[in-house]
Amino acid sequence: MRYLILILFTYVKCDPDYFAKRNRIVESELRIALGGNMSLTSKENEVNNCLMRHKFDELDYAFNNPDNFGLSHHFFKYKDNIPKSKVYKIIKDMPKGAILHIHDMAIIGPDYLLNITYMDNLYVCLGKQISFLFSNKVPNTTCENRWELMSEVRRAAKNVTAFDAKIRKQFTLVVKNPDIVYPTIKETWTAFGNFFSTVHPLLTYRPIWEKYFYDALKAFRDDNVYYVEVRSILPNLYELDGTVFEKIVTAKAYKKAIHKFMRDYPDFVGAKLIFAPNRKVNRTILSEYIQTARQIKNSMPELFAGFDLVGQEDAGNPLIEFVPQLCAATNLNFFFHAGETNWFGTMTDENLVDAVLLGAKRIGHAYALAKHPVLLEMVKEKQIGLEVNVVSNSVLSLVRDVRNHPLNIFLSLNLPVVLSSDDPGAWEADPLSDDFYISFVGVASRLADLRVLKTLALNSLKYSALDPAAKTLAITHFHSKWNSFIENFDCRSY
Amino acid sequence: MLTLAYTTLALLVTITARTIPDNYNQERRALLAEETLTSVGGKQKLNDEETRANEILMKLKTNELNASYFNPQHFNFSKHYFSYKKDIEKSRVYQIIRSMPKGAVLHVHSSLMLHPDILVKLTYEEYLYACYTHDSIKLQFSKATPARPCANKWALVSELRNNSSDPNAFDAHLRDYFTLYRENEDYDYVDINTVWKRFNKVYYAIKSLITYRPVREKYWYETLKQFYNDNVMYIEVRSGLPDLYELDGTKHGKRYLVELYKNGTDKFIEEHPDFIGIKLILTRDRAQSINHVLEAINVTRQLKAEMPDLIAGFDLVGQEDLGRPLSDFIPILSEAKEEINLYLHAGETAWLGTSTDENLVDAILLGSKRIGHGYALTKHPSLMSALIKKDIALEVNVISNVVLSLVHDVRNHPLATYLALGLPVVLSSDDPGAWSAEPLSHDFFVAFMGVASKRADLRMLKQLAINSIVYSALEEDRKSRLFAVFYDRWDRFIKDVISNESYRDLEVS
Ligand SMILES: [Zn+2]
Ligand SMILES: [Zn+2]
Repeated sequence: MRYLILILFTYVKCDPDYFAKRNRIVESELRIALGGNMSLTSKENEVNNCLMRHKFDELDYAFNNPDNFGLSHHFFKYKDNIPKSKVYKIIKDMPKGAILHIHDMAIIGPDYLLNITYMDNLYVCLGKQISFLFSNKVPNTTCENRWELMSEVRRAAKNVTAFDAKIRKQFTLVVKNPDIVYPTIKETWTAFGNFFSTVHPLLTYRPIWEKYFYDALKAFRDDNVYYVEVRSILPNLYELDGTVFEKIVTAKAYKKAIHKFMRDYPDFVGAKLIFAPNRKVNRTILSEYIQTARQIKNSMPELFAGFDLVGQEDAGNPLIEFVPQLCAATNLNFFFHAGETNWFGTMTDENLVDAVLLGAKRIGHAYALAKHPVLLEMVKEKQIGLEVNVVSNSVLSLVRDVRNHPLNIFLSLNLPVVLSSDDPGAWEADPLSDDFYISFVGVASRLADLRVLKTLALNSLKYSALDPAAKTLAITHFHSKWNSFIENFDCRSY
Repeated sequence: MLTLAYTTLALLVTITARTIPDNYNQERRALLAEETLTSVGGKQKLNDEETRANEILMKLKTNELNASYFNPQHFNFSKHYFSYKKDIEKSRVYQIIRSMPKGAVLHVHSSLMLHPDILVKLTYEEYLYACYTHDSIKLQFSKATPARPCANKWALVSELRNNSSDPNAFDAHLRDYFTLYRENEDYDYVDINTVWKRFNKVYYAIKSLITYRPVREKYWYETLKQFYNDNVMYIEVRSGLPDLYELDGTKHGKRYLVELYKNGTDKFIEEHPDFIGIKLILTRDRAQSINHVLEAINVTRQLKAEMPDLIAGFDLVGQEDLGRPLSDFIPILSEAKEEINLYLHAGETAWLGTSTDENLVDAILLGSKRIGHGYALTKHPSLMSALIKKDIALEVNVISNVVLSLVHDVRNHPLATYLALGLPVVLSSDDPGAWSAEPLSHDFFVAFMGVASKRADLRMLKQLAINSIVYSALEEDRKSRLFAVFYDRWDRFIKDVISNESYRDLEVS
């Protein structure tokens, strides 16, 4: 009896405005967040309702059954289930704008690379690690076993399917038991490095390179991406007779492939190149790199977007090592990888300081940014785009449960975020849809909706290296694609 | 990491500042200085002796972290706590932290404070019966075979132990019921529900041992001793005040346990006069009905009226994702807060935009004096501002968050951001007994080495200890006594570090 009276009493005593206050806080947080002040048309609202109904279904089930919440595990554990998700299917069909952070060698997956091994004149060295080389005679480079013609080795194989499966494994990081194969970042990056050494000679055979990049553009377009800024170390292309070309030839091959693709698919907006050589070099070589960048910029200004340095950041040189040279390279735009680390207070982490001070237009990853309140303010003020690659960070051992990815902080602060995919081919992900899906369902707030997706897509054009006129055109183009996506949207088809 | 910790590695690159433009260098230094100033401890000033101790500490820290930076496969903090737990002792940084005065523990649950090795000793008490099932254990003290049902059969622990071929193995097996820690098991990828189920089993096993009045008295004494030996001088203990019983079946109500805590603590203080004491935060399971919670609030109110020095406030506990959200309790909690201070668990979740992480909104609106965990807070910028404005402290328990499956690599723990932003943070240990951790030193060590910046130094450690006193529920006179005890011990600690022969080689000449 006493409790009953108390309850009545407490209901009277409770602040009548409590829930109004509470709603104001929750709503204001959503408004501050990325996409928060975008308004949707009534047709967009219908699409949003459909999208959010499916998102809530997925998340509410996961909330109650966290053991079945795939996204808290390694990407390889749940990647095959993603295509079943209705939210994913919607995202797949949705125009996503541009990809601004992707490395040319790892765009298309292992099946494509396996196909290349069926081409003539391919030699293989079946050592502990498998190496390839196109040549019109037996290669004279070292091989711990011996160089053999791939076609002959395959013909001699008892079981071609098994043989091809073994070859295919060289072209992907995906395994069934990632937690055992990749216990720490060390094992992951070793495998990732091996991947590039294997793929490099396959793709840099000149005729393949031109075809490969054309096909990559096709893959982007098929994933509803219409513009791309691709990072390249500008590998030296080679011919069957062993001729090796200058980096400028690689850049020209890009130009040619883009040109051809745009002719075949006039609705594609275009592609630009970020010259991104390895960071593990000395200052002399860096000077040569800067020279090359200038050379390409001068001869192909419409192709060239800017400069970056790549490779495992913890293991390579920090930006500060090159500050004198980079400060002097005033005519180049920078798109530095920085802070792709979970080390706090180390040189890698402080690459973020240098990326900001060197005036980078965008920063690749910036995973460590949430630990740097002062830098974070500067990023916002200078509108430095943050190229976030959630799947990459998960596969490359920075974070396991993506709900702990700092992207959710970036989103809640409405930082200039663009989503990208880094090396989707290496882990058999979509050019962009998987990253969008995982970011939307696994990282962003449960309440994040179509406005967040649309803003992210628009950001990818806003923070692109397109010149103002081209940017305006690209945004107009995006809106027309977007509108037709909205107009033709039918919830029943998902 | 620890095996390599002792080799000093030269930095990969030597930066020649001369070639970097002056204004660039200035700007860079200013920026880093501002970040340090913003961070927890950034405004602490060290005296000469502290500066020397800090140099020693930072040499050791840098050596250990460099070894792992260049050999990340040995960086144990990126793995589960259980995989490196037994190596912690070997760290020289840990030795310093262990001997460092750490102030107070403000977030710990009464039944799960004591190391399982000592719990096993308590099972040597007479008249203890056990009921084993394949993966759990029930214990009861009784003159005759307990009448409670047992799926298997009740047996005297003393007899089981005597009849076993290897009493040590028997005890080791018994200990496994009292802890989640397994030395050789891969605990890496267990989902949150599974781990909470195991956790609850450990809790019930321990609870069945320590609800017997004579054991609870010993339990409490041993617990205080362990915390005191870990250089913790004051504790705020969360307790649901379970009924205790005697051998003859007599039951004692909630007030009895409160008095037992009080008398046990008073006795401990007599023997250890520089221990300041305890306060209780009374709790109820958040999965309970509103009426049950209201009942617990009323008990708190009553006990607080009678023993205002002992009762600090009220909280709701249990797995937050599965329990009721705070918003279910708004009427009764907003009424209660007029009389009782709230110290609410909130945002102990990896989810964003769910009822659980919105508990943070309610905890702040309800005027919670501190927030337990606040794990989800970094994703809520406006709540973070409110927290700073209202000076609400966050009780952060890093190891707990790892063991209970919120985060894997502690470098991704949001504490890093809280420290960088200079939020009012206190470090605590939640349930150290349940994972065989030290009362507080392990949490300090992992936070300092694994979560905080590599540059974070003695100033941060000192600030964190000071925070635990500042944000305690102590009344002014005891708070200033605690400060006096702390500074006294701190000075001795600093002198010990700088006079320690084994650090001679590290001192900067
Ligand atoms: Zn990258
Ligand atoms: Zn707790």
